[in-house]
Amino acid sequence: MQVVVKNLNYTYSKNSKSVAVKALKGINLTIEEGEFFGIIGETGSGKSTFIQHLNGLIKTTKEDCECLKIGEFDLTEKKCNYKKLRSKVGMVFQYPEYQLFAETVEADVMFGLKNCKPEMTEEEKSSAVKKALELVGLNYYEIKDKSPFELSGGQKRRVAIAGVLVLEPEVLILDEPAAGLDPKGKRELLKLLKEIHGKTVKTTVIVSHDMNLIMEECDKVALFHKGNVAKVDAPENIFKDKELVSLCGLKFPLTASLYHALKEKGVSLKTNLKVENFIKAVTEYYKGEQR
Amino acid sequence: MKDVAFGQYFPSNSVIHKMNPAIKLLLAIAFIVAVFLVRAFHFLGFGVCFAFLISVTIIAKIPFSKMLKSIKAILFFIIFSAVIQIFFNKKGTPLWENGFITDVALLNAGYIIVRITLVVLGASLLTFTTSPVELADGIEVLLTPLKLVKFPVHEFALIMSIALRFIPTLLDETDRIIKAQKARGADFESGNVFKRIKALVPVLIPLLISSFRRADELADAMDARCYAGSKNRTRYKKLEVAFKDVFAIIVMAGLITAVVFLNKFNLIPYLAAVV
Ligand SMILES: Nc1ncnc2c1ncn2[C@@H]1O[C@H](COP(=O)(O)OP(=O)(O)O)[C@@H](O)[C@H]1O
Ligand SMILES: [Mg+2]
Repeated sequence: MQVVVKNLNYTYSKNSKSVAVKALKGINLTIEEGEFFGIIGETGSGKSTFIQHLNGLIKTTKEDCECLKIGEFDLTEKKCNYKKLRSKVGMVFQYPEYQLFAETVEADVMFGLKNCKPEMTEEEKSSAVKKALELVGLNYYEIKDKSPFELSGGQKRRVAIAGVLVLEPEVLILDEPAAGLDPKGKRELLKLLKEIHGKTVKTTVIVSHDMNLIMEECDKVALFHKGNVAKVDAPENIFKDKELVSLCGLKFPLTASLYHALKEKGVSLKTNLKVENFIKAVTEYYKGEQR
Repeated sequence: MKDVAFGQYFPSNSVIHKMNPAIKLLLAIAFIVAVFLVRAFHFLGFGVCFAFLISVTIIAKIPFSKMLKSIKAILFFIIFSAVIQIFFNKKGTPLWENGFITDVALLNAGYIIVRITLVVLGASLLTFTTSPVELADGIEVLLTPLKLVKFPVHEFALIMSIALRFIPTLLDETDRIIKAQKARGADFESGNVFKRIKALVPVLIPLLISSFRRADELADAMDARCYAGSKNRTRYKKLEVAFKDVFAIIVMAGLITAVVFLNKFNLIPYLAAVV
């Protein structure tokens, strides 16, 4: 499913002028099916507000938006089928473990199925839950009868993500999924997201402050700045634009910092800034110097 | 959720905002007393009260639209009280032959409307110009005499300010959890009453758990800073009585005197006998 957004505006507390906050000011972007799409930007730049539009948690109207389409769903229409949309577009919030509520892990993961696919039999539901839990790297039989509250932080987060994956969404949206995890947990979560991407999930949209992750993994990146999209491009082109990234208040991934530092010394490398490619470029340059 | 106006503090840097909250609280109570001192049908007293309210609103830089909104919130209550008066007060003479509405009833309804409006506006001026935390401080000061009877005034005030402090946080959290469950297809808007109540379980449980977690964290943070209750504690913000506070007290004394004085003049003398 392709995501098309044209001139999307949103204002919080629109009705009272004194506290109204213009959070989105004319967003334009397109996310193609199959992309691993990154969204970066300072705190308060409108990232969370934007992605909440993508599965109708914040509703838009024709007045505020020229076009907001996800596959066949037109979200500017009043009669858009949100239940169906939400099973196609999964949303994982920041700190998703705070949404766990049921007595057992199995019941919690099944919550979405009960809401969106009530026609399934108990057996079908159980096997879907098993699949989702295995997808996030948990052992179904070990964990299904445990209380979600007795799990470790990382496990809780996986269970919460399984609770979204169980609906087999085609588009998966994650708002800072790695926040609050230790480096190992972060790496594992990322590996998992890469594995899921391309299975049932076709398109992944990830909001992250981890520039190294964005640089390394994303096919395309949107740079948000004060409610606008400053640039949509391949990550290397974004991070090679030193002025823009600094203006938007962001840090650089490691390779980009080195790239810019070397450039100041008069060394211009030919690289797409991914770690392996960068190392190759540096070694080649070094060999060239020695000759 | 943030649209739910609570406490309705309206920040600004006016003199009224900077007044000592304890004194402001006392003066708000005095104002309400003044409103109740105005005798029935002595509308001149109300005129003075209104003049006072409008001046304070202007000095405090509160937009009048805000004030009107706070009346709107209890409009139903005001109308209800007035209607009861109009239909059930049988004193005085009917307005038309054999009519069921009397002149006294009508005037009484007006009297009640004005009275409630004044009280509500006075109270909202207090909450508009005093942040919840300041208000809790003010209450603590006013309750200090209760220490004599071993009432834990400080703890009481602390509980109050913590509760006030966490209301916006809880509203935010509720908003987030509702959205997270909606993203999993939860439906809070359809079905009968029982269905809707049941639909709230996935919101209330995470909310409860996170409240306990927050409470724990707060307790730890307070422990870590050696908080040990009220004993030998000094205040970070000393509540001092400044010139503006004294001035405000004088103005309020003037207002009450004026109201009492104006109570002597009856605009509608022939009704005085009825009431
Ligand atoms: N519920 C809300 N009510 C009012 N303003 C909000 C709310 N949520 C976010 N905002 C404001 O909208 C802007 C964008 O916020 P957000 O989308 O959360 O940014 P980000 O996720 O990029 O940090 C910010 O200025 C923020 O203060
Ligand atoms: Mg955010």
